[in-house]
Amino acid sequence: MTQQDVTRLQGIFGRNPREPGSLIAVLQDIQREFHYLPREALSETAKALEVPLSKVYSAATFYSAFSLTPRGENIIRVCKGTACHIKGADLLLDQLESGLGIKPGETTPDLKYTIEVVNCVGACAMAPVMIVNAKYHGNVPCNRALRLVKKA
Amino acid sequence: MVHITINGKVIKATEGEMLLSVIRRHGIEIPALCHHEAIEPTGNCRLCMVEITREEWDGWKKHVTSCLYPVEEGLIVSTHTPDVIEIRKTILDLQLANCPDSEVIQKMAEEYGIYKTSYEVVPEGDNCIMCYACTRICEVLGRSAISAVGRGHRKEIAPPFGAEPPDCIGCLACAQICPTDVIPWTDRDNTRTIWDRKFELISCKECGRQTIAREFADYLIEKRNIPREYFEICDNCKRSELARKMGEIVARAQEVAI
Ligand code: FES
Ligand code: FES
Repeated sequence: MTQQDVTRLQGIFGRNPREPGSLIAVLQDIQREFHYLPREALSETAKALEVPLSKVYSAATFYSAFSLTPRGENIIRVCKGTACHIKGADLLLDQLESGLGIKPGETTPDLKYTIEVVNCVGACAMAPVMIVNAKYHGNVPCNRALRLVKKA
Repeated sequence: MVHITINGKVIKATEGEMLLSVIRRHGIEIPALCHHEAIEPTGNCRLCMVEITREEWDGWKKHVTSCLYPVEEGLIVSTHTPDVIEIRKTILDLQLANCPDSEVIQKMAEEYGIYKTSYEVVPEGDNCIMCYACTRICEVLGRSAISAVGRGHRKEIAPPFGAEPPDCIGCLACAQICPTDVIPWTDRDNTRTIWDRKFELISCKECGRQTIAREFADYLIEKRNIPREYFEICDNCKRSELARKMGEIVARAQEVAI
């Protein structure tokens, strides 16, 4: 970790009460700032909150909101639930995959984009659905998918 | 003191004590895999299931894991009803699919008449039944070197990052408590290996026999205030030394008597 990363981490520890109960909150903050949970950050978290490293790692691998490998600044979630599947989620995904050169679960080398596939986000009426960061896009024409992503 | 009925017999038990201990104390055999005196019960294996009811329940019954159920006045317990047996059989059948190579489970299943699982065998089964006895004992010992990693059917017990666990002291408690014996370790030429981490073994000053891992001794010295000398000589040599001293005392006593 660079000096700057260490400072960021210290900031996160400073914002949260230094107690085992803060574990999830701290991991969420790290995930948000670093876009993943760097290994050293987990070790530092264990020390700062006085939680055994094994428990930190257990929580980090349990929740799908956490990632142990770098993820992109922009997370693109493509719904492949039943409704979206029928309304052409695959075509949409194809566009994104070839446009960004990555497969679902992967991140572009410049760490800008990560594609994820999710199952039904509860918005079937506007299938196919794509979520870029926190923004929901409904009725996405497959040829516009990439443009929507780049605009994010 | 409370009074409970187990299989028709009225029995005295201490309030708050777990049903499983009472059942076992009265010589009734029921299978249990995840239970151990050294750790808090968690009810993970479900094998110790029994049926309970009470007079005032009017024939209503329920099934509970006896390792986790504190006894209470008036409890009526049955350990081998057809329902209970059916439940145990199902669990053993599933466990057999999960860990086909575990002798412990094979034996238990055979006792319930199951020789082959009726389910599809888990392809990469490793005999771990996810009872968490290992992580719990590690926590009790104050180390918490290993934990559950991942989630769902991919969950496994492992050290952080799948690397040598920094908090492990090579005490072997996890391997020894494991009911299905799945945690590998070796002691070879002064070196103990567990979870891919190597530990130097202390050799007995007298006979050279290996005793415990140095990290483990250091930990006990620090946390439990045990003098360092205690670990320098193995139990065997301590015993012979004691016998020799006793012999001397007896001889001296005889001399005095003469
Ligand atoms: S299937 Fe995509 S939102 Fe329900
Ligand atoms: S011994 Fe009771 S659930 Fe395992």
